[in-house]
Amino acid sequence: MVRSGLPAPSLRTRPRGPPASAAALRRPQALGCRDPGPACSPPPRPDRSARILSEPLKHSDFFNVKELFSVRSLFNARVHLGHKAGCRHRFMEPYIFGSRLGQDIIDLEQTATHLQLALNFTAHVAFRGGIILFVSRARQFSHLIESTARSCGEYAHTRYFKGGLLTNAPLLLGAQVRLPDLIIFLHTLNNVFEPHVAVRDAAKMSIPTVGVVDTNCNPCLITYPVPGNDDSPPAVQLFCQLFQTAVTRAKEKRRQLEALYRLQGAPGPHPADPAAPGAPSPGAQAQLGVGHSP
Amino acid sequence: MAGSRLETVGSIFTRTRDLIRAGVLKEKPLWFDIYNAFPPLREPVFRRPRLRYGKAKSPTQDIFYHEDQIRAKFYAAYGSGPKAFDLFNPNFKSTCQRFVEKYIELQKLGETDEEKLFVEAGKALLAEGVILRRVEKARTQQEGSQVSRKSESMGVESQTALEENPPLKEVPQAQHLESPGEESKGLSPP
Repeated sequence: MVRSGLPAPSLRTRPRGPPASAAALRRPQALGCRDPGPACSPPPRPDRSARILSEPLKHSDFFNVKELFSVRSLFNARVHLGHKAGCRHRFMEPYIFGSRLGQDIIDLEQTATHLQLALNFTAHVAFRGGIILFVSRARQFSHLIESTARSCGEYAHTRYFKGGLLTNAPLLLGAQVRLPDLIIFLHTLNNVFEPHVAVRDAAKMSIPTVGVVDTNCNPCLITYPVPGNDDSPPAVQLFCQLFQTAVTRAKEKRRQLEALYRLQGAPGPHPADPAAPGAPSPGAQAQLGVGHSP
Repeated sequence: MAGSRLETVGSIFTRTRDLIRAGVLKEKPLWFDIYNAFPPLREPVFRRPRLRYGKAKSPTQDIFYHEDQIRAKFYAAYGSGPKAFDLFNPNFKSTCQRFVEKYIELQKLGETDEEKLFVEAGKALLAEGVILRRVEKARTQQEGSQVSRKSESMGVESQTALEENPPLKEVPQAQHLESPGEESKGLSPP
């Protein structure tokens, strides 16, 4: 059986039982028999964790995802190229800039705003320790997506999607299974150009979705659609890289904030500037100094 | 865990929010606060795709530029142009694009006559070393004397083509037959 999407067991942030591993995924052993890695530490106190969770929501772009891409970089990756006008889906018309000699061109200004929202949401979910599942049914990019998921410590499902995987998960995957908290679609359509079953199933199971929607896709049920080209390799590589960076950044920030709050002791002092999360506050340094002096 | 599987009713957010408010769903899902803080531009509500009937057309516009008219004339006269398109290079300028730029430069200088501009732009490109071969419609040159035996309309066309040729031809007499210029109009300009 083909394995895909093995997560990195770096964060102890999955407390609610083993996650749902899709049919082609190996059940991650690291989470089942957890061996205390370097991140092993007592869980943060409830008030501190509430503060950690609420702090990022107050900033409009806490993880600075805007700097990861620009309209020019989207253009160079050929994200604006859509399908022919005959393949156009009616609900994609608002996102289409125009039609150049029969080929639809996607409006990159809109794509940029949508992409920023999508990356921001992904980063926040990753920050809170959510499980992210990358789904795609394009065989050409199957390996790329699986390695992207592996490198950011999340999951991928790029094989045949068995019916009931999300809607009948306790039966197919085990009783105490945790479903993904976010599903990212690199391709919304399956190999027969119909909407992927997981789009409808995620809506059924109230799982938010982020999806790259091409001009022939239906963006209605996707929570954070990103209108863009899903057929050119440069475009898919760009999207994979963006999502990977967003998730990695978010997890890194989480580690830093937890370490920071632990050093600071009781919640009360003003939390550090999120732009410079690595530097501990002077109060913490003073405490360390006191500790080390003979 | 309680939940609502009605994907056609509202969005996941409205359903979850109402379940929490009713007290049915005890625990707030992980994404709820994030969605609250950063909602999407359009609420992900199900819509049934309906067909367009009668004369209703999609509002998507065609993209055309003023340079397209120049490009159309270029392709009609010279076919695809001497240089192949290098699509790997993002700053690639094809022969047609250079022609168009020359044409616009000359237009800015004050010229108004389209024929003259066309000729001048061609000459300017020739001065830079780009050789443009004219494409002949309906294989008039190859048949040569057989042209006169063809139908009157064809004869008239070939006459006008022959008349235009001497002042506009850059390559003397080395006419190689290509497919007529109309077919290459389908090429997307650079």
